[in-house]
Amino acid sequence: MKFSDETLMAYADDELDPPTRAAVEAAMAADPELARRVARHKELRNQLRSAFDKVLDEPVPDRLIATARTAPADRRADNVIPLRRKSAPRWSWPQLGSIAASLVVGAILGQLLLRASITGPIIARDGQLLASGALAHALSNQLASDQAQQAPVRLGVSFRSKSGEYCRTFLLREPSALAGVACRGREQWRVQVLAQSGQAAADGGQYRPAGSALPRLVLQAVDEQIAGEPLDASGEAAARSRDWRH
Amino acid sequence: MPAPIEELREQIVGLLPRLRRFARAIARNPHDADDLVQIAIERALARSGQLRPDSRLSSWMFGIVRNAWIDEARSRGRRERIFAPAELGENIGDPAHETQSDMLAVQEAMARLPEEQRIAVGLVLVEGVSYKEAAEIMNVPIGTVTSRLARAREALQAMLADTTGALR
Repeated sequence: MKFSDETLMAYADDELDPPTRAAVEAAMAADPELARRVARHKELRNQLRSAFDKVLDEPVPDRLIATARTAPADRRADNVIPLRRKSAPRWSWPQLGSIAASLVVGAILGQLLLRASITGPIIARDGQLLASGALAHALSNQLASDQAQQAPVRLGVSFRSKSGEYCRTFLLREPSALAGVACRGREQWRVQVLAQSGQAAADGGQYRPAGSALPRLVLQAVDEQIAGEPLDASGEAAARSRDWRH
Repeated sequence: MPAPIEELREQIVGLLPRLRRFARAIARNPHDADDLVQIAIERALARSGQLRPDSRLSSWMFGIVRNAWIDEARSRGRRERIFAPAELGENIGDPAHETQSDMLAVQEAMARLPEEQRIAVGLVLVEGVSYKEAAEIMNVPIGTVTSRLARAREALQAMLADTTGALR
């Protein structure tokens, strides 16, 4: 049987299917010239490999490591919401990014509920967590595009969920730093997700790539629930004027 | 869902030795190779949203290195072609490089290949990437990869046979 040079090369590169491979081996056994051609292909491969493998032993220049760790990244890679929209709410994901968050486990939530007075931000009723007091007020009235720097609640992104409700992300500064998502039910804002953040205040809006994992749980919830794009400033204002009802 | 950015950054750091090896195989000298890797890291991070969860990071990065090199080569154009042979010659008399003469011979031979052949060799023979993966990285059919490899091998074998013959 005759084999093209490309087939012999593919044999040397271990790219042939088993039948062709067996045929080449049988032919090589019978034809020393064929075996020699294959050996040359393998030898070249080894030669190239050993010449460039030396690079692996060199220390990687610091500037490359620094670039990998600090060069600006596409924010979309940090999960969830494509930030393609034209007019983003002013409290953007990067700010949220400065909050190291973790899942609120029962103990934390219990503490929060115990500490919260009757006018506390979150109450439990009929097996649901509902926004109350300052949080409920902010969810209903505060626009992300227009909020005081030191407001006790900061609103993030507002969006329509797949079930058609309006939902908003929030950051509570008191009594402890909590980030979450609340959706507007018929009468109340239901708290869907709550995550504790390690740090109460956003850091002045600077995007900090290092150590700034977003509150994953919150982002994942948004990602799972969002229908379409987040509301822009005018969409947010229009939703508020309808009292967040669809 | 794509990996968070911090994870991606560390994965890229882990890939740096291989990215440098690949860049060394396709660029003309170590300095250019590291510059190329740097450009590729910057591009990769800036476009990290485009990395699909099912795609292999190494393949994606090799593709970015390859594209960055082709862009660079295009923009440098004529100047590069005029000066490249002299640059290669400079290294030969350098005692620091004498111990690496085999590497130098291989690099010199590689530098004479057309860009796309050199990239195919860098991917398949140096990095050990499969033909199929190389085709995806180079955005060409597998048949094109094999024909480029076959031509490159033939040329390299001829050149390296010359070199070793001349040294003996």
